[in-house]
Amino acid sequence: MTDPSSAPHPRVSEISTLVIGGGIVGTCLGGFLAGEGDDVAVIDAGWPAGSIANAGSIHVQMQSQFMSDYPQYIPRLERSLNLYRQAVPFWKRFQDDLGVDCELRITGGLMIAEDRRQLDFLSKKCRREVELGLDVAILTRPELAKLAPYLGPAVIGAEFCPAEGKVNPLLANTAIRRWANGRGAVLLHEEPVLRLELEGKAFRATTSRGIIRAGRVALAAGFASKDLAAQLSIELPAEADPLHMNITEGTTPFIGHLVQHADRPITLKQLGGGQVVIGGGWPAGLGTPGTIPIVKLSSIIGNVSLAQHIIPQIAQLRIIRTWAGINTFVDGCGILGRIDAVPGLFFAIPGSAGYTLGPLSARLVADCILGRDPSEDISACSVDRFSAP
Amino acid sequence: MSAMDDASEVGRLMAMEGRSMTGTVLLTFEGRQIEGRQGESLAAALMAAGERVLRVSRTGAQRSIFCGMGVCQDCLIEVDGRPNQRACMVKVDRPANIRRQRFGEERAVGMAPMPPRLIGDVAQEKPEVLVIGAGPGGLAAASAARRAGASVLVVDERPLPGGQFFKQVAVEAGGVPPDRQHREGRRLIKEVERAGVEIRRGIEVWGAFAPCELAVMQDGTIRIFEPRRLIVATGAYERAVPIPGWTLPGVMTTGAAQTLWRSYRRLPGQRVLIAGNGPLNLQVASELAAGGAKIAAVVETAPVPMPGSLHALARMFGASPRLVLDGLRYRTHLLRAGLPVLYGSTITRVEASGNALEVSVGASAAGPKSAAGRSFSVDVVCMGFGFHPSNEILRALGCEHDHDAMRGQFTTRLDAETPGKTTVAGVFALGDCTGLGGARVALAEGTLVGATVAADLGHRIPAELQRATQKAREDLARHRRFQAALWQFYAGPRLEFELAAADTVLCRCEEVTLGEVDAAIAAGSPSIGELKRATRVGMGSCQGRYCGPLVSAMLARQQGCELDERFCFAPRMPVKPIAVADIARRSSA
Repeated sequence: MTDPSSAPHPRVSEISTLVIGGGIVGTCLGGFLAGEGDDVAVIDAGWPAGSIANAGSIHVQMQSQFMSDYPQYIPRLERSLNLYRQAVPFWKRFQDDLGVDCELRITGGLMIAEDRRQLDFLSKKCRREVELGLDVAILTRPELAKLAPYLGPAVIGAEFCPAEGKVNPLLANTAIRRWANGRGAVLLHEEPVLRLELEGKAFRATTSRGIIRAGRVALAAGFASKDLAAQLSIELPAEADPLHMNITEGTTPFIGHLVQHADRPITLKQLGGGQVVIGGGWPAGLGTPGTIPIVKLSSIIGNVSLAQHIIPQIAQLRIIRTWAGINTFVDGCGILGRIDAVPGLFFAIPGSAGYTLGPLSARLVADCILGRDPSEDISACSVDRFSAP
Repeated sequence: MSAMDDASEVGRLMAMEGRSMTGTVLLTFEGRQIEGRQGESLAAALMAAGERVLRVSRTGAQRSIFCGMGVCQDCLIEVDGRPNQRACMVKVDRPANIRRQRFGEERAVGMAPMPPRLIGDVAQEKPEVLVIGAGPGGLAAASAARRAGASVLVVDERPLPGGQFFKQVAVEAGGVPPDRQHREGRRLIKEVERAGVEIRRGIEVWGAFAPCELAVMQDGTIRIFEPRRLIVATGAYERAVPIPGWTLPGVMTTGAAQTLWRSYRRLPGQRVLIAGNGPLNLQVASELAAGGAKIAAVVETAPVPMPGSLHALARMFGASPRLVLDGLRYRTHLLRAGLPVLYGSTITRVEASGNALEVSVGASAAGPKSAAGRSFSVDVVCMGFGFHPSNEILRALGCEHDHDAMRGQFTTRLDAETPGKTTVAGVFALGDCTGLGGARVALAEGTLVGATVAADLGHRIPAELQRATQKAREDLARHRRFQAALWQFYAGPRLEFELAAADTVLCRCEEVTLGEVDAAIAAGSPSIGELKRATRVGMGSCQGRYCGPLVSAMLARQQGCELDERFCFAPRMPVKPIAVADIARRSSA
């Protein structure tokens, strides 16, 4: 199955656009392009909309952990803030287009603090975000007690961002795949692209099933785009960042918000079925290519006990599953749009928070591909920033 | 309760008062006082008190014990304020306030936050040899490894060692003495302990991480084992055959009913119907009848024994006369008691009617489902349609498996030369968890694998053990012959989901029906993962143990492929659900 074939691809030997990577970004991109009559195929080494797990947080406010870890990238993060802000209303409209309730719930997000220093950091961050046009506010303990009574006594304050929330990726991925299919995008699964090269003004992709010739190629494979770009002599600083996730059994919903921490790696939310999803940046191991990432016991212990620490009411819930997703780490900002050096090549890599930014990023890149001006300024996301002096 | 850890001083005092001289313990269930016997499971005490409805599901369905061995998670109850306690696994040893578990009430109100902890805060042990499972195979392996000088720790999640085959007597009651099978197990346990093996009870392995890191629950908190060699002997659990009504309280596995009687001397009910395939059903019918139950019928999918099967019987006799005589004894018991064994038949539907269950019986062979049948009114229906290997830990560690289409199971890929050696370095496995073979096969394999592991660690194999391994090799061949003949004797249609209706629940935990799974497959769910995400089949508390094999087979069949691991749910941690508090809590000891 994985032997390269020199024969033309049995289904799509010649197409207008080949999208490599069938996650939420690539599948959306395929759907948008097909909907406007483009002859497009989306190819994935695993299963479209589903080979790598998603957690479904809708993030808007800047990640304080990221800011502490990578202060040099804060300017980039700030420049991408507008995209995050626009991504939420876009998701709402997109869900309407899908015609499926994907449990998109914009109920607000809380970034909590346990001590004065953390709260000071959040206050400073909050002021800066307000300057940048974000609707955020600092809440004191009494205000929190009213808004989020489920938070434990360890929490002394929080930054509240009403635009944040969550979506159920189990429902959304299936709906998006059907939507893209229905609009005429060809979705190829379990078919790795083994070689990508230029052939005149077009591209030639050698997959495990044959040769695909495409006028345009969009790289939407997250971190895996790096190796594909390298085959076209483009250096792409997109790195795999495998992250741990835990999920509990379902119960009655009582956690209304997306909960994060000012200084510790945790993201926590409750799905419509009452399952509490606990993640937020604990490491996982990368398996061999083509296998799922490896879950670490240390991450289960650290992440789950931290969750109990801030929300003691989850103590009696049972962890039913853990898994790891692979985040793509760039520099606080995604890689979107065209590249001068290779006409016809496009990037659709939102970087961190790909699930939040996925549909909007795909729309903006689709506009670039179709020769239109995208509705949002994506100049900060240009790949040319890496080659600039 | 043995599975509880935060017994306060007050609780201990109460325990001393509530425990009477006759070994009875006062329990409260939903405000009603009932009497439990010291050492039995809460499930046994509750069944005996006529309290069958232990849990109310998300949709309001009533559930009770089903597997009776900690696998299905259907008998979850709230004990002294702690939800998610499996009634079949918690031992009665002090007064307890028990409530039916209702979906959505699991929240811990007023729980004090515990400071977060890291892996370095968790107790770790590095035993030379760790054996998971104190059934016949695990005990034999421990004994052999120890006799060669290895230091061995055996862990088992049940309160008593012996596993599902030896089912040790936990409660001496009713004047019924232990039988030969009990005594054999007791001798083996004694022998293992006398040899210097530590058998730790009530230890649940909930996580297995490559290369060889095991996370367990012990004394109310978690603990990590990093053994030099691991021997997995986790046995098997009963196959699910979904039929309309199979989730009703009173419908349980044959093994669950057997445990109630053999370990706790409690009858699952007065009128019992046992259905399925294989010799265990006859044995349990005979045992329950001797205990005073009225056996309405034993319903066997295999056809009436014919001259051809007598040939199989003869081969079984050649391989192991004693086991055949045991089987004939059970059969004679039933004949003498005038109990019908309905061959070539299966239960097709169970309906609740007041406190009773109405059971429909029809022909088991392929053909019109409307085959004129009989019906019975009973208290309890036992389902024993054979077993599946409990290979979750092995799969989680990355050991490779192959599908055995003949027996409808996945078998662990083992080295042809080295007994029990899996495809993962340092991990050995034996017995039913590697592929069904029965207790006698597991015992022989245990001796061989235990000796192999000890030698692998550099221990010298004493002459006595060399002789024992030679005998084990002969026994193994003989018992494999026996098993093959037994399967031939009991050859019948292997039922999967043929008897389920569109609205029959396939996934007991998430309450996903056959119709929903069919619809998702028809709508083009391409992979098992996608099917799971689309329907939630297999995402519940038992982690797909019952519905998983069924759904994998459906999907492979629909795609016209041979069943292989691609069609199985990806192994995910934990291998058993674990409470957040158990991960966060420091040891109370």
